[in-house]
Amino acid sequence: MNQNSFSPKARWDRFEPDKAGFNPDALNERINVLAYFEHAKIFPKSFNWHDKEYTIEKITYNWQERVGQALINYFSVICAGQLYQISFDNFTFRWQLDKIIQ
Amino acid sequence: MIIHIDMDAFFASIEQAINPRLIGKPLVVGSRGSKMHTVVCAASYAAKRLGIHSGMSSRDAFKICPNLEFVRADQSKYIWTSSQIFKLLENFNLPLNYASIDEFQLDLPDSQNPVSLGKEIKQQIYSNFKITASVGIAKTWLLAKLASKIDKPDGLTLINDDNFKEILSKTALNKLCGMGGKNGQILMDQGLKTCWDLYLKLPGFFDNCGKFRETSGNSDEAIQKPKSMSHSYTLPMAQINPQVIFAWIRVLSEMVSGRLRQDNLVSATVHLWLNGPQIGNFGAQKTYLEATSDGYQIYLRTLKIMEKSRLKSPRIRAIGVTCSSLSQPSYNPLFSEEIRREELIKALDRINGKFGESTIFPAITILTR
Repeated sequence: MNQNSFSPKARWDRFEPDKAGFNPDALNERINVLAYFEHAKIFPKSFNWHDKEYTIEKITYNWQERVGQALINYFSVICAGQLYQISFDNFTFRWQLDKIIQ
Repeated sequence: MIIHIDMDAFFASIEQAINPRLIGKPLVVGSRGSKMHTVVCAASYAAKRLGIHSGMSSRDAFKICPNLEFVRADQSKYIWTSSQIFKLLENFNLPLNYASIDEFQLDLPDSQNPVSLGKEIKQQIYSNFKITASVGIAKTWLLAKLASKIDKPDGLTLINDDNFKEILSKTALNKLCGMGGKNGQILMDQGLKTCWDLYLKLPGFFDNCGKFRETSGNSDEAIQKPKSMSHSYTLPMAQINPQVIFAWIRVLSEMVSGRLRQDNLVSATVHLWLNGPQIGNFGAQKTYLEATSDGYQIYLRTLKIMEKSRLKSPRIRAIGVTCSSLSQPSYNPLFSEEIRREELIKALDRINGKFGESTIFPAITILTR
C-alpha cells in the first residue's frame, strides 16, 4: 500500500485542537532525546521536557510516516506509568513530544 | 493452496498495542471529529460482543456502551503497519496479493504444508506487532477468505475435501464475499440460504470465482490499473452553508487529482455523491470529452453536477468525489494559458511533495478548518 498516494497528515484532515493553551492531545513541543541507533532503527531511551528528565521504560509501538520529503518516526513510550507519543523528523532533525496519550 | 490472512479488528488492535490500558476493553476508532458526531471505523472484539460494529454512528455506539473507549483514527499508523506486514510476508518468497489494508493472500505450491506455514505467519505477525491475525486456507481465494472468518479472532481454519460440505452447510450465504448486499439477498429470496445451497446450484462457482492475482511486484500483470479514484468525507455536523460545502468538494477534488497525477492518469468522468438528512443519498456523474487531472477542473465539473441537480440549500452530512474513465494523458496543451496552468500545477505538486501535502492549498479550503 503506497503511503505516498495519500498523506493522512494533509492539513485539511489533520486534527485541529478545539482550544488554545495546554492541550495534551496536541502538544507538539520540542524535546531533547537520548537515543541509540541499531540496525537502522531508533531506540529512544529518555527525553527532557520542561527541564524534567523522563526515562523511557518501554516503547509500546513505533511507526513511520512520510510527509513530503521528511520521514517521521513515531514512538509511543511509557514513562513512570504515563504514555506519551514522541516523534523524530529526519528532515529537520527535530524530536518533539506530540501528545500525552490518555 | 491459498492462504488468506485477515487481521483481527485491525485499527482497534493497533490502538490497543499502542496503549495497553485499552486491551480487553470495548473500544472504537472513529474519525478526528467530535466523538459524538462520527462513525465507527473499527471496533474491538469486546465492543463487537456488545453489538457495536463498523459503520454505526458513534452516538448509537455510546448508547449501547456509555463507558466505551474512543480513539481518533490515525491512518498513518494503520497504513505503515499494513505495509510492514506485507514486507514480512514477502520474505516467504511466495506469490503474494495485497487484498486490502488488512488482508493478504499467499499462493502455496502443493509441496508446502499450509497449516504449519499459517501458524508461522500468525506467530511472526504477533511477535513483530503484538496484534493477531486469522488465517484461512483453501484451494481458492474465495474459500480461503471464507475460512479466515470462521474462527475469529486469532483463528486458523483449513477447508479441504473432508470438511468442505460441513463448513459450507453451516455458513450463511451472506457471509460469503460479494454476497453481503443485494446479490446475496436476491439469492436468499430464491431459497439459497447457505453456501452449500449455492454450491449445489452452481458447483463451479467456488472453483472459478476470482483468480489469484499477485501484487508482490515481480509479475508484469501484477499491478492492476485502477478503474476509479475517489475520496469521501463525513462532516462532523450536517452543513447548510453552500460555501463550506463547496470548500469540501474542492478539498476532495484536489485529493483525487493529486492521486491521478501521481499515477500519471487523467479522468474523463466525474461522479459526485452527497448525503444528507433531507436528500438521503444523491449521486450523479458526467463524462467529458477532455480528460483532466487538474483539481480545479474536477471541482468545476462537480459544481455543474450540483447545478443540474437543482438541490436547494440542502443540509449535507457527507460528500464524495470519484473520478473514473481513467487513461494516460494524450493531450499536450497548446494555448499559453493552459501551459501556464500545467506548469503551476507541477510547481504546486513539487512544493507539496517536498514539504507535505497541502503545504500550499486553494484558499477556499480554509473554510473547512
